[in-house]
Amino acid sequence: MAISLKENIIVGFSDFWSRKIRSIITVMGIVLGTMSIIVVLALVKGINAQTMKWMMERGGLSKITVSRNWRYEKPDHVKNYFTWKELKLIHSLIPEAKYFNPQQRHWVRHSYEDKNYQASVRGVLPDYSKIEEWDVQKGRFISSFDIEQSNDVIVLGTTIKKELFGNKNAVGEVITVHDRRLKVIGIMDFRYMKNSGAIGNDNAFSYLNRRSFTPLTTMIHKGSGNDNISTFTLKAHDAESAPALREKLSNIILNLRRGLPVFEVESAKEEAEEAAQNKKMFTTIFYIISVISLFVGAIVIANIMLATIQERTREIGIRLTVGARRRDIFVQFLVQTILVTTIGGIFGIILGLSLLDVVSNFLDMELIAGVAMIFVALLVSAGVGLISGIIPAIIASKLDPVEALRYE
Amino acid sequence: MSGIINIENMKKEYRMGKITVPALNGVDISIEEGEFVAIMGPSGSGKSTLMHIIGCLDKPTNGNYTLNSEIVSEIKKGKLSMIRNKQIGFVFQTFNLLPHLNILKNVELPLMYAGYNKKKRTSTAKKVLEEVGLGDRLKHKPSELSGGQRQRVAIARAIVNNPTIILADEPTGNLDTASGGDILSIFSDLNDKGHTIIMVTHDPAVAKRATRVINIVDGLIQDGDIT
Repeated sequence: MAISLKENIIVGFSDFWSRKIRSIITVMGIVLGTMSIIVVLALVKGINAQTMKWMMERGGLSKITVSRNWRYEKPDHVKNYFTWKELKLIHSLIPEAKYFNPQQRHWVRHSYEDKNYQASVRGVLPDYSKIEEWDVQKGRFISSFDIEQSNDVIVLGTTIKKELFGNKNAVGEVITVHDRRLKVIGIMDFRYMKNSGAIGNDNAFSYLNRRSFTPLTTMIHKGSGNDNISTFTLKAHDAESAPALREKLSNIILNLRRGLPVFEVESAKEEAEEAAQNKKMFTTIFYIISVISLFVGAIVIANIMLATIQERTREIGIRLTVGARRRDIFVQFLVQTILVTTIGGIFGIILGLSLLDVVSNFLDMELIAGVAMIFVALLVSAGVGLISGIIPAIIASKLDPVEALRYE
Repeated sequence: MSGIINIENMKKEYRMGKITVPALNGVDISIEEGEFVAIMGPSGSGKSTLMHIIGCLDKPTNGNYTLNSEIVSEIKKGKLSMIRNKQIGFVFQTFNLLPHLNILKNVELPLMYAGYNKKKRTSTAKKVLEEVGLGDRLKHKPSELSGGQRQRVAIARAIVNNPTIILADEPTGNLDTASGGDILSIFSDLNDKGHTIIMVTHDPAVAKRATRVINIVDGLIQDGDIT
């Protein structure tokens, strides 16, 4: 045992302190690098939280969506929609699905007295409200009775309601949808989620408020006149069983379509991950900035450590003379470099954390700090010290004692 | 081969580019334990080189060197630093203290590399500094002391691990006569206590303190022992 780590750290600190200005300049790159690491990691965390929130708002992790695969060009003889009969078959094959909702949609004019509004009307089952975890604020949603009877009823999103009725009561009134007269039986809850990073519309769910809902049977029998359904959603009992159900459903559908990928079966989780992918460019740019500044920082530090070692050649000679081993010299300088970069890292972390609000406002995105990212930043800054300190430390430890002592 | 230091036919050459400069041309020396040897010679005679080789800081090009019956060229590097740490103490003309450490820390340095704990180091270093008359200056930096005081710190550092051999390279060269005298007295005292002292000097007055003088000129020992 020779010079202890604690000793080294104390020596390192006093060296750091006795050359304040130089030390501050030395660690600037590291400070900026770790600062941007903190910002990026907080950004990533914020995006993930946002995605998770979106997922939960749109029915949670147990939701599964079947829709047309637009990337696949199907042969003419294969149908890219399901018939009512097929859907019944599919539903009977997956008893483990808790809710099941096929839907048909049409872009039509909604009118009431002299007001008109173009919007998407959806033919759905009562399960829609369960799957989307979206209820009415007034009146009621579509019931099984409405389905059985193909009742002429409609439930409005808040935007349509407002466009047609203003602040007046709408439940109980009859509106014209395309060419059919439907009775308004309910008004959906207003949906809102902050649309971060967007310019203009700040409600990520404004499209939901523009929808209206009618019984699927009413739409099939009295509206469109066909039972072609290209989209349906369902819900597993819980998030854990969703992937298995998705797999099973996917196979059933492939069997119904001769193994051709006419439809896409996606779980909410996969959808959410896709959404997160779209924001990846943001984080990639920040990662690159961090890595570059850390790299520059490492070069600066290596350079300054080499100068320091030259300055301290005589000291190294003295230490060797009084019994320091080469290993002691190596450790001394390496530890000092790591110490310098770690101190820089700590400053960078503090700076990064205090910058989160500013960046959050600037990007209009939520940034979330966490303990893990602090450790990552610390580890990275220490790692930069290790990388940039190792060559100077080797050079220091290889000095010839006699020549080192003569050095002026 | 009975001495603590035995040197036989030692040669040392320095390479400067393509030119080879001889520093020692075949030196034979035997030093007994407890001697106070002055190595004298003009500058460039090779006396500092000899000193560095004795102190295991440098290696001879040729020849044998045994220290405490160990052949130095066969000792591993790690152990050489232990020998420098425990068996040899160095005192230099320019003191060679670390300027940013106070004198207590300077004296603690060899103890630190010897692996003693903080408490033991401080108490030992303090005691030795008291012995050389600097017990009231522990927290001073070397720059706050006079030349004579600095050399006493250097001596304290050299003897703090209680080495058998003390090597001094012109220890009074940067001092006025009075403080030089004080320093020499300390060396005499240390010699009385049993330390083997080898001192490089070109001052005959200094050499008078020694029990033996070795003259070296152009890398060769001149007329042997003068008492």
